Amino acid sequence: MKRFVIFLLAALLIGGSGAWAEEKILMMATTTSTDDTGLLDYLAPEFQKDTGIVLRWVATGTGKALKLGENCDADVLLVHAPDAEEKFVAAGFGINRREIMYNDFVIIGPADDPAGIRGQGVGVALAAIKSKTAVFVSRGDKSGTHQKELELWQAAGLPIPDKEAWYVQTGQGMLATINLAAERNGYTMTDRGSYIKYEANLNGNPPLKILVEMDAVLLNQYSVIAVNPARCPKAQLELATAFSDWMAGERGQGLIGGFKLLEKQLFTPNAQ
Amino acid sequence: MKPPLYTIRSLVHAYDGGPPVLAIERLSVAAGSILGLVGPNGSGKSTLLKLLAFVEKPTRGEIRFKDRPAAPFSDAVRFQVTLLTQEPYLMRRSVHANVAYGLKLRGRSRDCRPQVAAALSLVGLAAERFADRKWYQLSGGEAQRVSLAARLALQPEALLLDEPTASVDAASAELIKAAVIRARDQWGTTLVIASHDRQWLYEICDDSLHLFRGRILESGADNLLFGPWQPGPSGFWHKPLAGGGVLRVPPPPDDQAVGVLDTRAVSLTAPGAASPQGLNTLDGVVSRLVLEKNTRRIVATISVGLLALTVKLDPERLQALHLYPGKAVRIHFAPQAVAWCDPA
Amino acid sequence: MDFLLGGFVTAIQLLLTGDSETYSAVFATVRVSGYSMAASLALGVPGGFFLGHFDFRGKRQVRLVVDTLLALPTVLIGLLVYAFLSQRGPLGEWGLLFTLPGIAIGQTFLALPVVVALTATAVEAMDRHLRTTLITLGVSRTQLLLSILWEGRLGILAAAATAYGRVTTEVGVSMMVGGNIKWLTRTMTTAIALETNKGQFAMGVALGLVLMAIAFVVNFSVFFLRRR
Repeated sequence: MKRFVIFLLAALLIGGSGAWAEEKILMMATTTSTDDTGLLDYLAPEFQKDTGIVLRWVATGTGKALKLGENCDADVLLVHAPDAEEKFVAAGFGINRREIMYNDFVIIGPADDPAGIRGQGVGVALAAIKSKTAVFVSRGDKSGTHQKELELWQAAGLPIPDKEAWYVQTGQGMLATINLAAERNGYTMTDRGSYIKYEANLNGNPPLKILVEMDAVLLNQYSVIAVNPARCPKAQLELATAFSDWMAGERGQGLIGGFKLLEKQLFTPNAQ
Repeated sequence: MKPPLYTIRSLVHAYDGGPPVLAIERLSVAAGSILGLVGPNGSGKSTLLKLLAFVEKPTRGEIRFKDRPAAPFSDAVRFQVTLLTQEPYLMRRSVHANVAYGLKLRGRSRDCRPQVAAALSLVGLAAERFADRKWYQLSGGEAQRVSLAARLALQPEALLLDEPTASVDAASAELIKAAVIRARDQWGTTLVIASHDRQWLYEICDDSLHLFRGRILESGADNLLFGPWQPGPSGFWHKPLAGGGVLRVPPPPDDQAVGVLDTRAVSLTAPGAASPQGLNTLDGVVSRLVLEKNTRRIVATISVGLLALTVKLDPERLQALHLYPGKAVRIHFAPQAVAWCDPA
Repeated sequence: MDFLLGGFVTAIQLLLTGDSETYSAVFATVRVSGYSMAASLALGVPGGFFLGHFDFRGKRQVRLVVDTLLALPTVLIGLLVYAFLSQRGPLGEWGLLFTLPGIAIGQTFLALPVVVALTATAVEAMDRHLRTTLITLGVSRTQLLLSILWEGRLGILAAAATAYGRVTTEVGVSMMVGGNIKWLTRTMTTAIALETNKGQFAMGVALGLVLMAIAFVVNFSVFFLRRR
């Protein structure tokens, strides 16, 4: 018994420290969309091959990803909420913000389109949903997608809904939110990648269709930010910079452009 | 002369700051003797046994073992004294493991099978049938006997038994009696045994101790008279008895007080004999006659309605009265012979 | 509804084909629950024994606190442990955030009240004659405690099984403290949460079935040990 306990304690210690000893490990906090679509699973092995750095990531909402950076629990961030990111950098939590790629958002809804928004601009569409009090499902989780949605209501000159009966806030991930919208026969806003996944899950015949797309305000910019080592002594700026350079470089940009989900390109590289 | 095995001085015991349940000024138990404890439920018998077994520490006073102070877990007594409680607990192991447990603690577990078998046979259990049974495969009486075997296997210097015959049949009670006597004769074990079965107890005891409300009653004080009492004429108090007759007693401290009647103050006559002036005169029937082992006197129990009184007689007196169980007799005793117990 | 049947089929496929992602999550769960069970039993059994066996001042208050902690929400534990293990937290130096031992610390807080409370109950429920019996047979103080513990082994086993159930099925701590990092801290439950979030219900059901299978094996073993 005593030996068993000692063994377990030893295993615990080795498990705790040993794995970190040799390799160079870059800890990244990112958003669910990059993970859910499989983009990171596709990029990480290539990045390791080129640089010898192991990329590990925690996928969460942009809000929490920024919080992890603020708490020094990550070395680098890959997020998509430009306003919040600028505040983050201005507050001294992050440095070297660099735009990497974008994807776009779409507004989806039931095929019979009860609010009649098909083919409209975003502002008109949202106003129609509000006036018809059609169900609109929101992430409601401070994620990049949620923040984008809030910007759209503001840009359309509409008050941000909150307690209205037709405005449903899930507090969950993108695909859970889409599924909920389908259950409620409502509208929602999603990134295109998540929608493609959703479409594929239902064998190409989903109840919710893309109704509004290609509006300039729907573009979704992703950036890499290094966590500021001046504030976080343990933050590995060198590795974070290597990642940022690789993503913005020819190799990373090419891979991003070539990433396809179900034959469709998801992200457009646009590093300067 | 050998020193006494136990010496008790000014002992008081109470549970959790409650009222004292046991108060013994002085008591010694001779080595190699068999002492019987009698008394009604709650009289302190089990408490006294637990204290003698050093399971608990007395609230006040001391118990010396072989003239040395001793306390729970002390090496002087740990392997010398053992107690069989009224409701023995069998550990969740086999019968063999239960009996061998104490031997194991004493470092005598090597090849203990024969010892365990011998202990089991002392209580009438065949080792080949019982040793490998699990604790839940035993009847109440078998569990009691296995527990006793677990104590006998230790060949202790002091063996304390609390109601050992309470849940066993007559044949087992005889076996236990034989085992107890054997323990004393072969190993010189000192025994203290509490039992309600007075006949069984008187047959094996050298001496008996009467406990009531946590106190030792004087020897011979076997009869307890319970209230309620009512004031009566000429300064005495009364209690009407079921089946007629009245008990007269001196004024009690309160109407529920318990009186103690010395057996030596009770005289026995033929039915219909003249009643001396001023004495209690009660008609009853002999219900039991038992030989007291060490005095060769006869202990007679007389039923008067629901009351049972004990009288001790010489064999000659028994002859003269032609006593046998079922015979009607008349008993006399002076009301002043009744003493009152101190309220505990 | 289809995804339930689909999940069942997927579960069988994943297990039979030795799917490395699935097995990585299974092993993460087994390892982390092994750590947390070892720690919570090592601390909780003596603690519960002390609470159940001894009388001391304030015992009822301690009991009340322990019983209240039984209702600790896992996300709250996750949040608190994160706060301590974060680089900005007091224990950030240990580098345990986003590691299995980090999750195990949180799960230990989750399992500890269960082990303490159920062990205390088991010890309290033991026959009051046991103690007397052991003393009369000549135990030393240490032997007394060990023997009482051994007599209560079935109750303690039940406590361990209940705690194990709580630890293997929780999501809050694993997600908050572990970060659901693939190949590293992704456990069965965080994998289920992730797959469900991704809308891959069949995969979620499959992993759930695997988790149930593990729980079944554990309880089946306990069931056999308990058969007196």
